[in-house]
Amino acid sequence: MTKVDDNQATAEFPRPLLLTPAQDWAGWLVRKASRTALLAITATSILAVGLILVFIVREAWPFIRDRGLGDALGSTQWYPQAAGGREQFGMLALVFGSLYVTAGAMVLAVPMGILAAVVLSDIAPFSVRQAVKPVIELLAAIPSVAYGFFAVLVLAPLLQDRLGLTTGTNALNASVMLAIMAIPTIVSVAEDSLWAVGRELREASYACGATRAETLVKVVIPAAHNGIFAAVILGMMRAIGETMLVWMASGNACRIPSPWWNLTQSVRTMTATIAGEMGETPKGSVHYSALFVVGLMLLVVSMGANLVTEVLLLRARRSSGGRA
Amino acid sequence: MSIAVRQWLNRLFTIAALLSVVFIVAALVGILLPMVWRGGGAVVFRGTVEFRKMQLEQFGRGDTKAVRAEWEQAARLRQRAWDILDRFAAGLDTSDLQIKVRRIHRDLGDQLANRDLPRQELAHLRALSRQFRDDLLAALESGDKAQALARLQSVLDHADDPLLADTLAAGYFEVARRYEKTLVTVDLSRRAEYAQGIGEIRAILQNLLGPRPGERLPAIVMEQYGATRWDHAAQHLNRLLWAERWAPAGPGQPLRRVQVPREQQFAGTELAELFPFVRDNIREMLRPRWTVYWHYFTDDSTPGHYFGGVGPEILGTLLVTVLAIAFALPIGVITAGYLVECAADTLPTRMLRMAVNTLAGVPSIVFGLFGLAFFVIYLLPKLGLPEGSSIVAGALTLGLLVLPVVIRASEEAIRAVPQAYREAALSLGASRFRCFITVTLPAALPGVLTGLILSMSRAAGETAPILFTAAVAMGPIPSSLAQPTRTLAYSSYDMAVGDKMAAMAPHNQFGMVATLIAIVLLLNAAAIVLRGRISKRLRGQ
Repeated sequence: MTKVDDNQATAEFPRPLLLTPAQDWAGWLVRKASRTALLAITATSILAVGLILVFIVREAWPFIRDRGLGDALGSTQWYPQAAGGREQFGMLALVFGSLYVTAGAMVLAVPMGILAAVVLSDIAPFSVRQAVKPVIELLAAIPSVAYGFFAVLVLAPLLQDRLGLTTGTNALNASVMLAIMAIPTIVSVAEDSLWAVGRELREASYACGATRAETLVKVVIPAAHNGIFAAVILGMMRAIGETMLVWMASGNACRIPSPWWNLTQSVRTMTATIAGEMGETPKGSVHYSALFVVGLMLLVVSMGANLVTEVLLLRARRSSGGRA
Repeated sequence: MSIAVRQWLNRLFTIAALLSVVFIVAALVGILLPMVWRGGGAVVFRGTVEFRKMQLEQFGRGDTKAVRAEWEQAARLRQRAWDILDRFAAGLDTSDLQIKVRRIHRDLGDQLANRDLPRQELAHLRALSRQFRDDLLAALESGDKAQALARLQSVLDHADDPLLADTLAAGYFEVARRYEKTLVTVDLSRRAEYAQGIGEIRAILQNLLGPRPGERLPAIVMEQYGATRWDHAAQHLNRLLWAERWAPAGPGQPLRRVQVPREQQFAGTELAELFPFVRDNIREMLRPRWTVYWHYFTDDSTPGHYFGGVGPEILGTLLVTVLAIAFALPIGVITAGYLVECAADTLPTRMLRMAVNTLAGVPSIVFGLFGLAFFVIYLLPKLGLPEGSSIVAGALTLGLLVLPVVIRASEEAIRAVPQAYREAALSLGASRFRCFITVTLPAALPGVLTGLILSMSRAAGETAPILFTAAVAMGPIPSSLAQPTRTLAYSSYDMAVGDKMAAMAPHNQFGMVATLIAIVLLLNAAAIVLRGRISKRLRGQ
């Protein structure tokens, strides 16, 4: 009987089930090699981040070396094309323009985004939430150039004709469009973190006799504050890093609006400056290098914000007991 | 706080929250709808006979005989409009007639010299011809009606002269009679005003009906045809019927724009009948018909995107996108597989995760800068490709941009494969690599596919990374991957801001961006449907 069993076994397994180390040598080698190869391919992302840093810094370096950053950040005079060595590269107005339209957008987008997230997580029935979430994702996917197109060809003439502004492409236009663009991101992330707060806190609050508004404002939103901060930062980063929309909608006038609260004046952002001027700049010139400095600033800001978001989301995950 | 106040606050909060949702939805509908609606006008519209003629001549499409027959029918009515204009213009702009008179004088001189006539008679006839010429020229140039008529009469007195029978002098009399007829209706003192108006009208008619048959074709394709679309025709017609004038709105106020009917402006002249004639017969002149222009998505366009479609832009977008995905997908899936299957929470893994998150947060314009500095200027020239933007450079840049999207989606999908699958495979003696390839990856494939579709839509819509690496506003269809290309996203930007000619064809402006939006939304909708099916399967339904 045992003999027959053995035969069957050899029929099914042509090779012995247990390999001696000598027999396994080739397999071991292949395994090691393939693991290394996998790791190498996997490292592409790390390599990419490194390369981006290295090459942006490399191109920006001539400017930093020759003129210094203090000079660039201490002035609002951006005249890169002036003749006879009188070019000026004061980036303050550009930085201000970026922050200005972003702040304008956030004033509009944050309250609305959070309120909309609250509606999805606590007010609307579950089936509505299931239906609306994909739609919000769909909206986050609309290309920014489409929003910019709308800003230039529909909204700008409207502002100009109806409100009697001197120009329809201004900070107001850019801010409103940026807000609409950032809202889906904010809603999506904020809603996730509100959802992750869980039933217990809500039920405890209701049991104490709080109304829905009180429960949300005093219990749920504070409990989800890490995730909501992360949502706001993500939305903000989307607004600061946005190029096409602000390039098309902001009017590209390189100055700080005066008075500062006058949203109907044109401004120019860092991203729009890079997009608009890189095409006309000879490679290796001071102007070219200066534009890379602007890019480097954007890169550093985005990396910093990314770090903060990650810490916040990690904390949110910990405090919600790993639900999100 | 009393309970009533708290309840009111509660209600207020709910209302505010609902209002914000309503506002968001309204804003998005308000943004998307006009663009998609007006963009749809590039594909579905009422095309005129000029459109069918343009399609036949520029793209070789349609039934030659039918279009020609239709066009000839329309041309008959158009000719009448042109005739009305010509008759009136003859009285105003006499330079053509003056040239004609001079030519008759010269030809008549030749004709007389060739005839064997007695010397004296010849001299007499020559003198007569000279006298006719001078009289006619004086009449044509005169601003005084009575004087002009007297001059014409002195020429016409000789109309029955037997000596002049069978000679080219008949031309003089014809000119004189025609001009006499014109003079009856024309107010010569308003000649300058009419002359300006007539230039305008001629230009508008040209826009509406195209160049006159027999005239030399303009070099620009745009000007070779009349209104190809009924909505354009309506605009031109409106400009033909109504003239814009600046009128004082009152003391101390800026001038106001008012619309004056041109018929009134030319009241009492021969031209007045042109306006009701064109208005009543415009349908027969242009023969509008509902047209579905499917070839919009495959046709190349004329410069300025005035005619034609978005074929090269779609092709370029697909090329760049597919290449980017081809670059990002293998790397992304392998990285995701490594993160899930091989790596514990070690330092390399953490660095990897960090790198992925950082990459996801880098602004797209910085990717553009990096693509320019690394791929365009540094890497590709080293590989022997020409320096300058190219499809490869753009695709690699976009590939890096979508890499985090691919990694995250694949990781999620691979992680969602039940552990039991792996355990079953491993217990059967499969190696971990084999297990991943034959069991885990196929099970995770729908999720990976979802990520792939999402990253495709992202890559198709991004503009900033390809600004300096791959995109051009105009240019031939690329013949190799080392050339730059037109893409939907960049052309949308260019048509909205950069290209002044595009503003004359708003349907094509909106058509470009609507095509982009449609592609992106379709890809996303496909991803959502796919994900729904996966989650159903995972729930075991």
